[in-house]
Amino acid sequence: MAQVLAGHLRERGIGRGDVCALIIRHNPIVYPLYMACVRAGAIPAILAYPNARLHPDKFRQGLKGMSQRSGLDFILSERELEEVTRPLVESEGSTIRAMHFPLEWHAPDGSGAGLAGDRDGAPGRITADDPLLLQHSSGTTGLQKPVLLSHGAVQRHVETYGSVLRVGQDDRVVSWLPLYHDMGLIAAFHLPLALGVPTVQIDPFEWVSSPGILLEAISREKGSIVWLPNFAYDLMADRISEDRLHAVRLDTLRLVINCSEPVRQESHAKFVARFHPYGLRPRALSACYAMAETTFAVTQVPPETPPTVVAVDRIALQRGTVRPSAGDGPVRLCVSSGPCIPGCEIRVVDDDGRELGDNSVGEIAIRSASLFEGYRNYPEKTAEVLRDGWYYSGDYGFRRGHEYFVVGRKKDVIIVAGNNIYPEDVEAAVGSVPGVIPGRVVAFGEEHSELGSERVAVIAETTVADELAQRRLRLEIVRAAMAIDVSIARVYLVPARFLIKSSAGKPSRTASRDRVMSIGEADLWRPARAGGAV
Amino acid sequence: MAMVSEELKRVILETLKLDEWDLTDGTLASEVPGWDSLSHVTVVLAVEQQFGVRFASREVIGLRNIGDLQRLVDAKLGGARRA
Repeated sequence: MAQVLAGHLRERGIGRGDVCALIIRHNPIVYPLYMACVRAGAIPAILAYPNARLHPDKFRQGLKGMSQRSGLDFILSERELEEVTRPLVESEGSTIRAMHFPLEWHAPDGSGAGLAGDRDGAPGRITADDPLLLQHSSGTTGLQKPVLLSHGAVQRHVETYGSVLRVGQDDRVVSWLPLYHDMGLIAAFHLPLALGVPTVQIDPFEWVSSPGILLEAISREKGSIVWLPNFAYDLMADRISEDRLHAVRLDTLRLVINCSEPVRQESHAKFVARFHPYGLRPRALSACYAMAETTFAVTQVPPETPPTVVAVDRIALQRGTVRPSAGDGPVRLCVSSGPCIPGCEIRVVDDDGRELGDNSVGEIAIRSASLFEGYRNYPEKTAEVLRDGWYYSGDYGFRRGHEYFVVGRKKDVIIVAGNNIYPEDVEAAVGSVPGVIPGRVVAFGEEHSELGSERVAVIAETTVADELAQRRLRLEIVRAAMAIDVSIARVYLVPARFLIKSSAGKPSRTASRDRVMSIGEADLWRPARAGGAV
Repeated sequence: MAMVSEELKRVILETLKLDEWDLTDGTLASEVPGWDSLSHVTVVLAVEQQFGVRFASREVIGLRNIGDLQRLVDAKLGGARRA
């Protein structure tokens, strides 16, 4: 089918080096279509299909940003998106040459079935250095960073990573992960594709509506490997009722790999307690540290080895030192993401780039055989993160022996259920709400233990002091973020001049958040309402 | 066309911690503050609990709007109980 589809692409003038954005909902045709792009010598880039919440203008802006960065040539999508996307294709100076609808090619029912095998999409000559795909390092609009990976980099990576995981012919990958994310694309699709093991793919939207379907698929298909972001452990442990589990057996699972959010021991413990009676072996729990810039994995806990957990003094950790908890103060359980996989090297460095020893928290810098060469057409961003062959990840962590623990981030990125959200995007959306003082908003991530993830919180300065009017304003703020497909879980309204400025003159997220926390939500307006100054 | 019952409205609003929101037959989850893909399963569980019913995975996946949810609840209750 990929061959036939490649013929269709060629007929439409799609060829070597053309970047093709695939924006199609979960559908069996996406996989051969992706392969057809590769066969035609084009570069596929799978993008998220916009959900109903996202404002069409924001979606268009995101695509426009991508076309300016990545030099987007063709859009392969569904008819439903035509109206929203067409103006972008037709606008003056657009790099986008055309928009096509592969689901309609010779299939009256829209399924893509019945494509005749009469087209010859013979592959062009492809070398290991040729670009294979574009993946994006994060989800939100405007600030997406395109990572171009070569055939060689991806092939080397999945072979190495596959041997670390000891992938064999009996393995079966089961995944609900979206393909626009490196974990879904590289781990759950390219790896099984290259190693010749089956992969069962579930619609992410269906999974999140009904998380039990992943377990049903594992039981039915005898799944052995799954990758999950941390929140999924909590979601499945807490939100699947007992009577949906009667047919579930998880004995075949040998690797349940926690990746893409900080790994929380509480989530692992909850997951094992809930599913051990259904055959889940505690030893199947595993963890890895991965990112789009290194194709995927950097570290991985070896199979059949429980991830090391260390209980450390939380206060000392905040100051950058890893000290075993003496049992009297606040404790943080840190879960190991394992040792480096072959071909990867990590240095934990301080702010001046000096390497730190064991048990000191610093930025994680990575050298990898499958490292990207830079963000496509984004030299200034590349220069920020890629220096002397090392990729500075922006993640904070520490080394302990040969194992690495990831504990936080240098950048203010908020990770909600595996999706990276840039506070700048949220601040811009909230800052335009009438009643909010323009430019006087900060957004940050709040730990949400029940969700096993972070949720977005904002602090917004306003002159609106009346309680009823504030309630309406809160709702307007939440709605403004909905238009960029971000859910705000908490809104702190504060009086003018409340936010603390950083040295650069902009409101500081950390300092302002600390101020709210130290005052307490109930007392934020007390002085103002009492007529005093804040 | 199903009318959205007060009981269904109340359980949805309480789950989402909303004081008031106009929920009608055609309202989509994506239009309601706080009702995102992550909270969806919580809303569904709360509805199941409130009405003492159980939905199958494919029934949940097939829901397009609040009217569909109301009809699903009604079908489970066999039309015997409406608030």
